[in-house]
Amino acid sequence: MALSGMRGLSVFISDVRNCQNKEQERLRVDKELGNIRTRFKNEKGLSPYEKKKYVWKMLYIYMLGYDVDFGHTETVSLISAPKYPEKQVGYIVTSCLLNENHDFLRMVINTVRNDIVGRNETFQCLALTMVGNIGGKEFSESLAPDVQKLLISSSCRPLVRKKAALCLLRLYRKNPDVVNVDGWSDRMSQLLDERDLGVLTSVMSLFVALVSSNIEAYWNCLPKCVKILERLARNQDVPQEYTYYGIPSPWLQVKTMRALQYFPTIEDPNTRRALFEVLQRILMGTDVVKNVNKNNAAHAVLFEALALVMHLDAEKEMMSQCVALLGKFIAVREPNIRYLGLENMTRMLLVSDVQDIIKRHQAQIITSLKDPDISIRRRALDLLYGMCDVTNAKDIVEELLQYLNTADFTMREELALKAAILAEKFAPDLSWYVDVILQLIDKAGDFVSDDIWYRVVQFVTNNEDLQPYAAAKAREYLEKPALHETMVKVSAYLLGEYSHLLARRPGCSPKEIFAIINEKLPTVATSTVAILLSTYAKILMHNLPPDPELQEQIWSIFRKYESYIDVEIQQRAVEYFSLSRKGAALVDVLAEMPKFPERQSALLKKAEDAEVDTAEQSAIKIRSQQQTSNALVVTDQRPANGSLPVSQLGLVRMPSQNMEASTQGQASSREEGMTDENGSINKVVPQDASTADLLGDLLGPLAIEGPQVPTVPGEQKDKNLLSALEATPEEAGPLALATVDDQPNSVQPIVNIAERFNALCLKDSGVLYEDPHIQIGIKAEWRAHHGRLVLFLGNKNTSPLVSVRALILPPTHLKMELSMVPETIPPRAQVQCPLEVVNLRASRDLAVLDFSYKFGTAVVNVKLRFPVVLNKFLQPILVSAEEFFPQWKSLSGPPLKLQEVIRGVKPLSLPEMANLFTSLHLAVTPGIDANPNNLVACTTFYSESTRAMLCLIRVETDPSDRTQLRITIASGDPTLTFELKECIKEHLVSIPMQTPPPAVSPVQPQSPVSPAAYNDPGAMLAGLL
Amino acid sequence: MIRAVIVMNTQGKPRLLKFYEFQPPEKQQELTRSVFAVLSGRPDNVSNFVEADAIFGPGTRLVYKHLATLYFVFVFDSCENELAMLDLIQVLVETLDRCFKNVCELDIVFNFNKMHTILDEIIFGGQVLETSSERVLKAVEEISRLEKSSSSVSFVPKSVSGRFGR
Repeated sequence: MALSGMRGLSVFISDVRNCQNKEQERLRVDKELGNIRTRFKNEKGLSPYEKKKYVWKMLYIYMLGYDVDFGHTETVSLISAPKYPEKQVGYIVTSCLLNENHDFLRMVINTVRNDIVGRNETFQCLALTMVGNIGGKEFSESLAPDVQKLLISSSCRPLVRKKAALCLLRLYRKNPDVVNVDGWSDRMSQLLDERDLGVLTSVMSLFVALVSSNIEAYWNCLPKCVKILERLARNQDVPQEYTYYGIPSPWLQVKTMRALQYFPTIEDPNTRRALFEVLQRILMGTDVVKNVNKNNAAHAVLFEALALVMHLDAEKEMMSQCVALLGKFIAVREPNIRYLGLENMTRMLLVSDVQDIIKRHQAQIITSLKDPDISIRRRALDLLYGMCDVTNAKDIVEELLQYLNTADFTMREELALKAAILAEKFAPDLSWYVDVILQLIDKAGDFVSDDIWYRVVQFVTNNEDLQPYAAAKAREYLEKPALHETMVKVSAYLLGEYSHLLARRPGCSPKEIFAIINEKLPTVATSTVAILLSTYAKILMHNLPPDPELQEQIWSIFRKYESYIDVEIQQRAVEYFSLSRKGAALVDVLAEMPKFPERQSALLKKAEDAEVDTAEQSAIKIRSQQQTSNALVVTDQRPANGSLPVSQLGLVRMPSQNMEASTQGQASSREEGMTDENGSINKVVPQDASTADLLGDLLGPLAIEGPQVPTVPGEQKDKNLLSALEATPEEAGPLALATVDDQPNSVQPIVNIAERFNALCLKDSGVLYEDPHIQIGIKAEWRAHHGRLVLFLGNKNTSPLVSVRALILPPTHLKMELSMVPETIPPRAQVQCPLEVVNLRASRDLAVLDFSYKFGTAVVNVKLRFPVVLNKFLQPILVSAEEFFPQWKSLSGPPLKLQEVIRGVKPLSLPEMANLFTSLHLAVTPGIDANPNNLVACTTFYSESTRAMLCLIRVETDPSDRTQLRITIASGDPTLTFELKECIKEHLVSIPMQTPPPAVSPVQPQSPVSPAAYNDPGAMLAGLL
Repeated sequence: MIRAVIVMNTQGKPRLLKFYEFQPPEKQQELTRSVFAVLSGRPDNVSNFVEADAIFGPGTRLVYKHLATLYFVFVFDSCENELAMLDLIQVLVETLDRCFKNVCELDIVFNFNKMHTILDEIIFGGQVLETSSERVLKAVEEISRLEKSSSSVSFVPKSVSGRFGR
């Protein structure tokens, strides 16, 4: 056994290994830490060797999970040691222990620089490795030029140059300015001529990073990449050491093909032909072989080739060939290949014309749903979800239902959701849809979210033909001995509404219906009791001529709950009791639920949220967008009185809690009474729908996400306001933009604009807008109250876009300066327009990008909300408990400290919420609040008026009810406190608008508020909240 | 980009941790534990891929190899090719094998410092640096030579007593 070469270190490691338990280990480690600490303090007696030994021990202890909070100086100081061994340890351990912002790094920056520019190659390697592993803005600014020199130097050994290439890549990621685009396009082209495959691999990684942010500058490199690929594929001039299991450097092949995927297309016919020859060779020449490693390497290349073929949108013949290959892969024994086969087939769904070929493999894919490997099962589920359409929905959904019985618990929720969505989207008839959802609830009630049963209720309500069927089904399910709570809810609800339609069937008299539902009453939770009470009231209403016995039974239940501890139930009981004594009046009050307005499935949104937001938009997402239109076509073909509801056509977002609110609200036809945490009754007027909605819908597309409020009855009214605004355009001011989405553009975006906007609120780069002609991307960098953004305008066509115009309409709190936007964007070109932002004060008002261009005869004009939002000017900061509490106490009470109970929160687990906070630039600080259900976060807000301002946030959650929480925010500026609170709130509750509001219909203006008051959306929002 | 390299044994004890985006020590342990929890539940003869979204954030995956008493795990984002990552694990393993002649867990435990040296020659700042295990080996040997030659000059006279005293 080889040893570390340091006896003390080996002894320590074996001591730790010999520890019987964690406690012993901790004692041994503590003893060692004490020892090291003493040794470090006593500086005289420490030889370089000892220093080195102790630093290694520290790293070992650190790896075991113990905090090593001293000795950093000693570690870093080893970097400056003259001899290699100490220096090496210093560099390695520093790069493991310190993060890029650590102050100590500043101390050694000169040494590092000297090592890089010095002549000693071994020192150069050490320094480059540390810089590359740590990254760091300061390194980036001061070292990049020197690293660049090493990369292009002809006298350096490959060993140094390949490290320099990757080091530069890391520095470029930290600060893109270090690579000057103009000079680099030629330089890159030269670098790609490199013969040494080690250097070339690193250079290719650098190239991928550069080209991913600016394709334009590197067109000249495209033929070089193809050349490299040809060289490797033909195995020309590939040294033995770079042949991995007989395959010429699979990594370089893969990376090169990755790089090629950044170019939208390959115009030059010769290059294109050469590339397709190589790809063809890879596709045809790869077989599954026995040696696992060879197999993996060959298929790494093959799958990358497949991705490139898909990207280049090759001829149909080649595509079919790819699908055929994938079809083979999903059936092989080797699980890795099966996994990737399924994954790539899912990507393949994006390619038009091959769906039918993919469908031929349906049986095999369904088999994969039973694979022993959960990774493969997930891939199969994704693929089935993506490939589902009207022709195979029945088969696929039924498979999913069957699979639900045996699926892993971790997958069931997703599975249930996906089955529900597919059933809704592609239902050949609606009774089948009802069957599927009820089966889902029955089989996997625990995993069926409320959204799912809300949705089925909504469908049934909107479809008279469906009502008797659904009621009968609900009645059937109630016969079952053990019933999931959700099933009780949905059955009770449906029977309350529609059981009178069954009255003549056996077992369906009001009395019998009541009896069978009432059996469940003793065992259900309060939320269900509330629904049951409403059902009883409805049964009572249909109990004509009155059956005194039934009446008495129900009354006695109402009386029993009159003194119930839960206020919601108490109030229902009291009100239903007195209402039901009014006889005929009851019929009006408890009339059947009106049809729901059209809205989008909350489920779809949920599924989308659950998906990963990667750079490449996932195939399923795009497919699902395509499929929405399928659904449209299908429904359109139905007769005018067809049984499919409008809801499948008009897709308008439905905040998930709406329905419950409206169900309860309307069923009882009264104001909602809610309790706050103190138990006092707190009247929440059903959100004065006209004003609230107007915010949600009017401002939604314009500037601000409206608060989450029930919008059910409101649709009509906000239209009113919209027309009111249009009637007085001179007063409407910026609100004229409210019609953003109503513009009669013939060109429709192919991304979900609201979703893109929301994503960009949480991250700094991505696509803001895309239609068939243009893609607008953003990349942003924030520093204190300054922001530097770059708009990327990419012409996707082979002809130029003309009359391009981009205007930024900033709100009053932002200074924004957009540099010149060229009037013409050449074919397939991307232009970059820098944009400078200065934040003057805290506000959630938004800037709008008014963008237009001409393509052919079509003029396209879009107005886009621009993601320069409050949280961009936050910088997370970690605050210790000693600092936190005095601050927290000193900021007492409103308006500096505000508290609010927020309901209707998206149910997030604490880690999920912490993630959300992190993406909002709030530093979640554990250990300050003793209660594990609470989160404390700190951040600094920067604006010109406030400068740096510390903000403290505390969130108290209720583990038994994730939909509500209490948030307390404190800062030294009242506006900031308020705005920050609202900003966080929006993200906690926001289920933002996805599709445009329905077209404006001419309704008489009835606006209660003067439109002039709406000029400042922020003020209006503030006034209303 | 490769986000992390984790080598741990089948009891979940970390043997080598390298994160290419800084993580505080508690976080490192938490991540390692989560990875172990996922891997230890996976039977043999399944794929080497696991989605790691829940552990390392959206879009991340991990590829692992289970060899004797060790798991070799690479965590990476959507910019990398899964099978190429698996190949790279193989390169690491083959290099270790040549370095230590039939590598076993103990070699890795007692030479964790050397592990860092080797890994730094294969992965650099989260990117593939070198894929030829011959080249890696050469670089590592060169470093060992440097360590020995200069150390014999620098510390032996001073620390002779220290070496034998313990």
